[in-house]
Amino acid sequence: MRRSERVSTSFGFLGVGLFCLVFADLSVSTLDPWQEMARMARGLVTPDFLAVDRLGEALLQTLAFALLGVALGVVAGFGLALVFHVRVVRWGCAFVRAIHELFWALLFLQMLGLTALTGILAIALPYAGIFAKVYSEILEEAGPRAADTLPAGSGIVSAFFFARLPDAFVHLKSYTFYRVECGLRSSAVLGFVGLPTLGFYLESAFKQGHYSEVSALLFLFYVVIATLRLWMRPRLIPVYLLIAPFVLAGGAEISLDNIVRFFTNDIVPYPLRSADVLDITAWTAFGTWTWELVADQALPGIVATLVLTQIALVGSGVLTLVFFPLVSRRFLGPVGRTAGHAFLVVVRSTPEYILAYVLLQFWGPSMLPAIVALSLHNGAIIGHLVGRFSDELALRPDHPRGLDLYAYEVVPRVYGQFLAFLFYRWEVILRETAILGILGIQTLGFYVDSAIAEIRLDRAMFLIVITALLNIAVDGLSRAIRARLRLATTPEIQ
Amino acid sequence: MPIFDLKDANAGYNGRAVLSNVSLRIEKGERVALVGRSGAGKSTLLTLLYSQRRRGSALIPQDPGLVKTLSVFHNIFMGRLHRNGAWYNLRNLARPMRREIEKVEPIVACLGLEDEMFTPAGELSGGQQQRTAVGRALYQQGDVVLGDEPVSAVDGHQARTVLDAIAEAYETVVLAMHDVDLALAYTDRIVGLNGGRVVMDEPSAGLTRGDLDSLYQR
Amino acid sequence: MGNFIRNIALSAIVSVSFVSAALAQAFVFTAVPDEDEMRLRQRFDKVAVYLTRELGVKVRYIPVKSYAAAVTAFRNNHVHLAWFGGLAGVRARLLVPGSEAIVQGYEDRFFITYFIAHASTGLRPADGFPAGIAGRTFTFGSKGSTSGRLMPEFYIRKHLKQAPAKAFARVGFSGDHSRTIALVQSGAYAVGAVNFKVWANEMKAGHIDPAKVSVIWKTPPYPDYQWTIRGDVDTVWGRGFKARVTRALLDMTDTDLLASFPRKGFVPAKNSDYKPILDVARSIKLID
Repeated sequence: MRRSERVSTSFGFLGVGLFCLVFADLSVSTLDPWQEMARMARGLVTPDFLAVDRLGEALLQTLAFALLGVALGVVAGFGLALVFHVRVVRWGCAFVRAIHELFWALLFLQMLGLTALTGILAIALPYAGIFAKVYSEILEEAGPRAADTLPAGSGIVSAFFFARLPDAFVHLKSYTFYRVECGLRSSAVLGFVGLPTLGFYLESAFKQGHYSEVSALLFLFYVVIATLRLWMRPRLIPVYLLIAPFVLAGGAEISLDNIVRFFTNDIVPYPLRSADVLDITAWTAFGTWTWELVADQALPGIVATLVLTQIALVGSGVLTLVFFPLVSRRFLGPVGRTAGHAFLVVVRSTPEYILAYVLLQFWGPSMLPAIVALSLHNGAIIGHLVGRFSDELALRPDHPRGLDLYAYEVVPRVYGQFLAFLFYRWEVILRETAILGILGIQTLGFYVDSAIAEIRLDRAMFLIVITALLNIAVDGLSRAIRARLRLATTPEIQ
Repeated sequence: MPIFDLKDANAGYNGRAVLSNVSLRIEKGERVALVGRSGAGKSTLLTLLYSQRRRGSALIPQDPGLVKTLSVFHNIFMGRLHRNGAWYNLRNLARPMRREIEKVEPIVACLGLEDEMFTPAGELSGGQQQRTAVGRALYQQGDVVLGDEPVSAVDGHQARTVLDAIAEAYETVVLAMHDVDLALAYTDRIVGLNGGRVVMDEPSAGLTRGDLDSLYQR
Repeated sequence: MGNFIRNIALSAIVSVSFVSAALAQAFVFTAVPDEDEMRLRQRFDKVAVYLTRELGVKVRYIPVKSYAAAVTAFRNNHVHLAWFGGLAGVRARLLVPGSEAIVQGYEDRFFITYFIAHASTGLRPADGFPAGIAGRTFTFGSKGSTSGRLMPEFYIRKHLKQAPAKAFARVGFSGDHSRTIALVQSGAYAVGAVNFKVWANEMKAGHIDPAKVSVIWKTPPYPDYQWTIRGDVDTVWGRGFKARVTRALLDMTDTDLLASFPRKGFVPAKNSDYKPILDVARSIKLID
């Protein structure tokens, strides 16, 4: 009965995804992509590591931003996890993690300029919100029986360190490790808005069609991600964290005036700026301002965002089920798995934006490239996690092989975990739709980007808050569904 | 003043009643066995009793409630966290002190776990885990112990040693047990449960194995 | 160990304060990234060297990623001089009272946007606005660009009497002129708007196949790129500093340096030269 509910929920989401296809523009309009595709392919096989200005520096900066941002997020998130039962904390965390790192970076750029702090905070803030939530869930699920049996009056500190932390620790560690990989991706992507990480050069090279540079940058990034397990040793972390600030030293100075101006002027809606509080005309103008923003941008943006998200969610799920056997011990030998891992690293480490752009060359502008890019990217991430989970399954010695093994033994066993990951990823997909505005898909992120390009931070802020609320709503829905299906609220990683 | 005094107590999960109208009075010094088929409500009754009087009570849950990544020593040491300050406890978590090890040693020896003192609990066999949970309760000391099948995974001879130790450490004992012989041998009062109701409550002395068989029939 | 950490912390503080002290004295400029971004540093570091020599103060160039980032850095006083496009300059000067357009490129007095179309559209070059582009797919360049966004949108609204989102089947923002060309050339978009200087450069570089993409209309000329300087530079670097910067920019005649922009030479400019741009931006509501 429980299983059937999971299956029916899956079909429900499939149905919603198909329904959204009706509203999605999927036309293929490219006429001759081959010249550009040939240049891309040529670039791919002729990576030019020397052509990129300051390649080593960009790599170090990418690592430094990621490590410091994630580290700060871990510390703050752990502290918040301990008081996560407080409603204000829970809401605060939901809000900060509902906003994409790129948007945080854009906001901090306004306040702090191109400083190290901008990049670190842009990662640390949303990550702290995510860590707080996941850590608190892990701690809640760790050893509740042990905590129950402690003698009355053991004290919360002793109870926490003896009964909660030890069993939770391995999960906290593996989750944190997984987020380091995400942090590296985030750090690289922050280059798109001007921080001096790999993304800075990647985006430039891509825009200019210097595909040999693009492939050099991408290969370097793949190697960093693929070898993460080798160099990310617990003992080395303090060393890395000590070195990182030196890598980031320099940059512009932080000025309090800019921060004050941001809050007291920039994000105040234009009609109310420098208007008297009792000025009726200003408030009327504010009403019009709000209404126009909601009707012309927020509402259409919400619709496009949700349509894209729901289709990409289904696409990610389908691709996950295709991808995970590629890295699973249950299906492939060491050689096959290595190839599978390499494939998934490439697909999940290539920024969605680049995937989408390559596909745009193929199919022309429509929602299709965005859907496929998001599905590939997220399918590869969840496929990687489900694959690792499937390695841990205990199968009877006489289990069937091939497709029967897949359909009868493995998929039913990993399905709960698969759904848990997918629902976890739901809000992430929603956030990622933000950076695909380039394809002319007018998601909320597209309008936020426009407002920032026009230096209308009041509009940007208004739309960002709406984006955050939408995210919180989806997160709540996902939580409710997971609870209803009794899916682990915390995905097991490792 | 009885230790436990339930009057018409009800309990359930998700709207499904597990205990209905249970009245039970347990005096200081009594040794009570809760018997009945699985699902009769023994564990729920134990949990209910424990929640009524946490101070001075030690609990041995069926799922042994161990912290799997911590050693046997630490799991047993946890029985007395309430007697020390937080810093002292953290110090022993980081590195067990000689004097604390010495206090735990006799218990470990009595339970036959001396070779596993510093093995993480998660690496022990089911029986060893169960004994570790008993060790925690023994170390805790107090006036009441509530045990949910505390020897179900321990073999015959050792089960008796463990029950002896429990009987010696605690004045008042309430144990849920499925082994009728052990129940009759180690307790002086049998409370039989069926379908969430108390259907028998008699001194062990006059009972035989056959008298209890009815509890296990539908 | 404690000592070791203290030393590291100390040297971190020293090095950070050293770096910021050095920055405080440096005169910093930036440029909107409109083309050839891979070589932004190569292009503009040369200009920094030239300005350092001419002005006698340390001049640094910092690269930025977008038009908005250039304006923001200028506004936050992280850069003091900037090579802006017309629209970015107008925005910057509105945000920083007292700032001034001082120098523009020779070609910027009559800048032009090309409308380009894929061969399959059958659109031919014409003198009048190509009304046949209505209903097709269209890509602008960057959202904040004068030549890639502001002026083309202005003429589209003027002639098609509709917002671009309504006038076309689909509207994109390629982000950059070079990419606009690539996207129209591949047929991903049928029509696009591109800066005429970049078109000429790409043509020279052999990136354009005339059989696939061609210019179908040229906008009337409008003022575009200019150097804008903050109003408070004289108080920081001494009286007459703004005039010296202006002089140094106008005196830039080295063809290698000029190729960084790329311009034939520089001529004086003033804020009022850009009134038409401000009016256009206001008329299509890109500026409040």
